[in-house]
Amino acid sequence: MWKVLSGVFLGWSLGANDSANVFGTGVTTGTVKYRTAILLTAFFVLLGALLEGPKCMRTVGDLSRLMPPEAFWCALAAAMIMTALTYLAIPASTSQAIVGAVIGAGIISNSADFSMLYKIVSCWVFTPVCGMIVAYCLHRIFGYFLDRTRMSLARRNLLYSAGILVAGCYGAYSLGSNNVANVTGVYVGSGNLSPGTASLIGGLSIASGVLTYSRKVMMTVGKGIVPLDPFSALVVVLAGAITLHVFTQIGVPVSSSQAVVGAVLGVGVVGGVKTVSFKMLGKISLGWILTPIAAGLLVYLFITFGGI
Amino acid sequence: MILEKLLSHGKKERDVTEDIKRHIGLLCTACDTFKTAVERDDPDLMENVIQLEREGDSVRREVISHIYEGAFLPYLRPDLCKFVEIVDEVFDLLKDTAFYHLSTRLPERIKDDCIRVALLNFRMCEMLLITYEAMLKGEDLREKTLAIRIYEKKVDDLKYDLFEEAKKVEIDTFWEGRMLADLISGLTTISDIIEDASDHLQIIYVSMR
Repeated sequence: MWKVLSGVFLGWSLGANDSANVFGTGVTTGTVKYRTAILLTAFFVLLGALLEGPKCMRTVGDLSRLMPPEAFWCALAAAMIMTALTYLAIPASTSQAIVGAVIGAGIISNSADFSMLYKIVSCWVFTPVCGMIVAYCLHRIFGYFLDRTRMSLARRNLLYSAGILVAGCYGAYSLGSNNVANVTGVYVGSGNLSPGTASLIGGLSIASGVLTYSRKVMMTVGKGIVPLDPFSALVVVLAGAITLHVFTQIGVPVSSSQAVVGAVLGVGVVGGVKTVSFKMLGKISLGWILTPIAAGLLVYLFITFGGI
Repeated sequence: MILEKLLSHGKKERDVTEDIKRHIGLLCTACDTFKTAVERDDPDLMENVIQLEREGDSVRREVISHIYEGAFLPYLRPDLCKFVEIVDEVFDLLKDTAFYHLSTRLPERIKDDCIRVALLNFRMCEMLLITYEAMLKGEDLREKTLAIRIYEKKVDDLKYDLFEEAKKVEIDTFWEGRMLADLISGLTTISDIIEDASDHLQIIYVSMR
């Protein structure tokens, strides 16, 4: 059972980092108190993990036929790479780290399934694109109806406040349902855990990260989104959540940060603002390449020198 | 926080909007009192304008503290505070003008024009209140802000005539001339600031769409 500890560590760091994409806006705009935000996030992450988490578990598990100790090394390598890249401020994704690690372990044991990898990599590329398209469409559709609705200032304020809360809860649900596979999916593939138990442990570990160590990132990310008007901020959170939920139905774990970055771009495009920063796109692409390669190399070192 | 908002149907927000309405309403009363005081040359009424400014000041403080106690999304708070500050600038200028009027005698040859400007200022305040109420209801503000701009143009036209007439007034001392110049300048600048306030309402309206 101790082999699951590396997954718990990975889930904890995912929860501490990615909860900011969900309620960062709500907390920094003062709509939701930090304490309420983390309690709601923890609850909905767990709910999402339990209800829909198993949908993505198989994808990670099927990438390679792993032995239980290999699963331990994969989760540990992914967690360490995530910590290092976050420290270097390179936008990294847990999905990319764990997939890189699993493929690395699969190459060593000659069991890697590259046809599955093709599907996953396509989904990574489409995550920000999907976030952008969803945000653009939502902004256009909701904007159309709101422009034609006469609403008092106080009511509009209330609508946006409630909207940010609802979108945050939905975002937390989507985060749990999609990203729990990154945390404990490897243990399902290696036969350590059943999908249900893996979802429970993964959901609880993400929730523990949210509850204990998310304040700093939540404030930083939230303040980055807040300069948007309340309507656009609401659309960004909602579009990020929908994007994650769509990929959950496809069965591929993707990056919530990249979905949100895409959504911010989509909102910018509606306003005709030139928001596409090639520097940011370069950083994301660097993360796509660096994260899986680094995780793959690290797991190679662990298995070679640490033994199975 | 949000549950409190939902359950109270935005009570804090309603308090703020009502207070701002009271603030503009006080400004209308102050402008009307100023006009009547000039018409009747009544120093007691002019003293009332100064009293109304003090009352306006306390309403402004209430509004700002309510806003920072959590009414409205933080995104909107600076704009609402800025609007209240602009209205307060009108109060300050009106008080200074009332003080100049108390300190000097308004020459007959410019009195009628001054009353006309004071009346236009009062009408602009009324229109500002109408614009504010329309903004609260989510109605279009373009026609209302246009009306304010037209009033402001009328005051501008009168301003130059007023100064031309003022040049012909015989002045005995430097301070008498200075007070008269400041009175005319204050009276004709009020409309500019009311126009700024209406422009700011338009900004708030657009930013919350």
